[in-house]
Amino acid sequence: MAATPTLILTSSDGVDITVDRDVAERSLLIKNMLEDLGETGEAIPIPNVNEAVLKKVIEWCTHHKSDPPSTGDDDDSRRKTTDIDEWDQKFMQVDQEMLFEIILAANYLDIKGLLDVGCKTVANMIKGKSPEEIRKTFNIQNDFTPEEEDQIRRENEWAEDR
Amino acid sequence: MAKVKNGPGAPGKPRRDVLASLKMASMEGISRAALPAEIMSLVLDYLSPVDLIRAARSSKLLREMAYDDTRWVQKLRRMGCWNELEARKHVEEAFGTIADRESIEQQERVKKPRPASGSAGPAATKPAISLNTLSDGFDKIELAPSAFTELKNETETDPVLGVLAQTKSIRGEARLEYGKIHAALAPFYNDITTSGASPDSLLFKKYHDPLHQAKILSQLQSFSKCDSTIQWRENVARLESATSIFETAAIKEFRHGYETDDIDDRMRKYAHVLYFLNGGSSAVELFIHHNHLVTRKSEFGKVADCIDAVSQRVKLEQTQAFFTRLSVAYNEEVSIINRAFPPSLKFATSFTQKVGQDVLYPFLTAIFDELHRINVEAYLTAVSGTFAQCLNFSDALLPIQNFTDDFDAFLDNVISKAYEPHMDLYLAEELDHFRKGSEAAVEDWDRQLSEQAASTESFLMSNINRQADKRDFLTSFKKVIMAPVNILPSFSTSKTSEPKSDDESVASDSSALKSQKRFSTLSSPSTPPVVEPPSTELAAKAAIMKSKLEGIRSIFSIEVALGLVHSAKSSLERAAQFVRIGGESGVAVKQQCEEIFVSLLRILGHGHLIVGFNKAVDHLSNYRPREHSEREQSGVEPLVTFLELVNVGDLILQMIDVFYEQELIGSKLTDRNDFLDPAVKAKKKFEQNLDERVAAGLNKGINVLMEEVDYILATRQLATDFNPSVSSDPHRRIMEVGVTEAATSVVDVVSSHTQMLVGSTDKSTLDVFNQEVGLRLFTTLCKHLKRQRISVEGSLRLISDMNHYFNFIQRFRNNELLLYFKAFRELSQIYLIDPSDAKELATIIADSGRFQGIWRVEEVIEFAERRADWYQVKRDVERAMYGIGCNVM
Repeated sequence: MAATPTLILTSSDGVDITVDRDVAERSLLIKNMLEDLGETGEAIPIPNVNEAVLKKVIEWCTHHKSDPPSTGDDDDSRRKTTDIDEWDQKFMQVDQEMLFEIILAANYLDIKGLLDVGCKTVANMIKGKSPEEIRKTFNIQNDFTPEEEDQIRRENEWAEDR
Repeated sequence: MAKVKNGPGAPGKPRRDVLASLKMASMEGISRAALPAEIMSLVLDYLSPVDLIRAARSSKLLREMAYDDTRWVQKLRRMGCWNELEARKHVEEAFGTIADRESIEQQERVKKPRPASGSAGPAATKPAISLNTLSDGFDKIELAPSAFTELKNETETDPVLGVLAQTKSIRGEARLEYGKIHAALAPFYNDITTSGASPDSLLFKKYHDPLHQAKILSQLQSFSKCDSTIQWRENVARLESATSIFETAAIKEFRHGYETDDIDDRMRKYAHVLYFLNGGSSAVELFIHHNHLVTRKSEFGKVADCIDAVSQRVKLEQTQAFFTRLSVAYNEEVSIINRAFPPSLKFATSFTQKVGQDVLYPFLTAIFDELHRINVEAYLTAVSGTFAQCLNFSDALLPIQNFTDDFDAFLDNVISKAYEPHMDLYLAEELDHFRKGSEAAVEDWDRQLSEQAASTESFLMSNINRQADKRDFLTSFKKVIMAPVNILPSFSTSKTSEPKSDDESVASDSSALKSQKRFSTLSSPSTPPVVEPPSTELAAKAAIMKSKLEGIRSIFSIEVALGLVHSAKSSLERAAQFVRIGGESGVAVKQQCEEIFVSLLRILGHGHLIVGFNKAVDHLSNYRPREHSEREQSGVEPLVTFLELVNVGDLILQMIDVFYEQELIGSKLTDRNDFLDPAVKAKKKFEQNLDERVAAGLNKGINVLMEEVDYILATRQLATDFNPSVSSDPHRRIMEVGVTEAATSVVDVVSSHTQMLVGSTDKSTLDVFNQEVGLRLFTTLCKHLKRQRISVEGSLRLISDMNHYFNFIQRFRNNELLLYFKAFRELSQIYLIDPSDAKELATIIADSGRFQGIWRVEEVIEFAERRADWYQVKRDVERAMYGIGCNVM
């Protein structure tokens, strides 16, 4: 093989980015599209993802291009832990807005590994936070009445800090 | 209550509000990105239960997602306390199969009030629900919760101990169930994971009973499966180390209990502790590996004790003693197991296997190896003997706890395992031993025979003065031959006339149960196994044969044959026991048994019987009656011997048949209908060979017999018999009507020989033989007649002679043959006609129909020429015949 085949992706803000095909195929969306349409040589528009995020995503895909393909549907019995490997941890050290964008992009492009890492990162953010802090982090409005809040607390007394 | 009533509606609404509120949130947060609900849900998957609840408290949407039942069901499932079936049952019990709106609302309603009833603990909440629902008038729902309450009341005083087991699988309540578990176990879990494994853990402080500690530890292990924190590996490792410390201590106690025989208290207690901790496998392992049975195995018996150094035989009483001791010890251990271990713990298999492997196998191997080195026969006896003892031993064992039906099969399996390695060698040796033994026996006999032949002038003559014995033998012998006919197919009650057969037939009836009987003799150590009283027809025959056959050693020995059959029988019986092993070895055993049978046939048949027959046939063909000066009244000696041989051969054949029926078919070693089976083939071939030899011998025998007849006629028939007028003796001149001496003796000789065959060969052979004898007798008589000169006075004697022959032939019941002799009778009348009635004579001669077409006219004339007065009547007769117009020339 002389050169790895490449693709051109166009971000939402109109920037063309050239990527190796096997890197791009970490995205199931792109992979399926290529399988369905064949290789046209035209740039593939990624309308929901801007250049910065797309680059970040490609960076992740490049690093993980030789990962074994995900087992497909995640089985229930698998232990869900928030273990994140070191490189990914560093990779995710971005501001929260970027983090969410990456997650959304991963969701849109159907990159399971990246989505998982993103969710884990968010889960780690939630970990140990009080409800109020969680609301702040995720920009959620408290729509409970005080009575309701009290009820939930009592109902789940076992989860209270000792 | 109004608040509560509002509840049910709430979860429904947010579903529609989800997007709206999220949009609102994101709009409010302007610059901040928010995650869509499905991604939030993914995120929540990664949260620990505590964090999940905190998230639930932050907003209605998050509460909706966090409370999602599947999330909690999954956790319960991972801990192994979610039962899908039970869950379904609950749903159906409560709502039927129709999930209408109302029933869902109802479910929600049940969910809501529970928290309201406060934090009094899970046990307290339940009754409150049922009260609530009752007051609401929803009778249907009552079922499940009330059943609950009852169960609750029955549980142990400390809910923590059985919290996992008590978890209910009810859809919609998984979170509450999880909460219960979490509340019960999390403190202990966190304590262990944070402070590490130490005897000071909260768990060990709070609970002092090792049984409780074990229960909680085992629950914690399940609980740890739900730990999804980053350091879960360490947590689990810590928990494991705590468990293993505890386990080690418990095992120590357990072992101590076993060693000090403190079975019912200490051992039992810790067996249960270990069982609750992790299924008790470590206790089982320890018990099996340090079992007294195995460590004390040398006490059961020494190999050296089981072998008699002097006679080089195995002492089966000693091995039996070994098995008895072993079974006592085994039963002791089993009682320990039954007392100490919880019944649901199933490890009888491994324990018994261990015993088989470590105790039984080495012992047997040592014995077998030793015996194989010093004495093959002892080895063979030992292998089969101990095997029988082994099976017997297995019957004496107590089953372990609730080990059910297949225990026996399993024991057999264990025993087979112990024997399997020996099988190949054993079978090979068995066959080899049998072959060598029987070949040696035949050779030995042959040698003796040739020595005897050298010392005696002719061994054929050695029996000459034992005629009476032989007759005697032959009669009793016929009975024996007749007997198998009723005995053979079904072993039905045979009413044989022999005095012995009364008890024999009883034995033969029970011969189907024989194997069982043999095993039962084994149970008493004093009775040597395998050696059994002569209880089969085979043995009965042998007894009769022995007494009757003392004298007959001429051509082949029935004793040798019996010996061979006996050794084959014992070989087969030894080998046949192993058929029980089944599987590949079982097949091998069957094949080997057939092989033994085949080689029995080969050695006995080809090596002994056929050779003997060949010799006898040779003797017959070399026999010239005239060369033997000393001649007996009764018959042709070699033919008599030969016919006896036929009988003996037939007897041996019968024996083989009985043997085949009993040993091979009876014990299901081979299939009668499988014509490709080597045993069946060999048997067929054997029978065929025997028949051939018999036929060849009979052919020779007939020749000899006829020569004898010729000889008798030539020497005994006096010229005056049929022509009294030529006699010089005045007394002879008187007309006699009696049968001549020659005719009497001819008939006697022939009939005595043909009689001997009756019942010994099959009917068709006999018929052929008789016909041949008859025809040959006929031609001989014709020739004889043509040598005589017959007067009218003598013709009366001739007629009575002919009648005598006719009567004799009649006994053969052969119509074709009878015609010849009828013709003879007619023929003899031509001599009676007075010379004056030449015309009449001519008519008779010309009437070929009178002689059944046996002779042509010319031949009849030839006979007529033998008239003493032929030359006087010749002219008249010829004239009369030509006058009649018969074509003479």
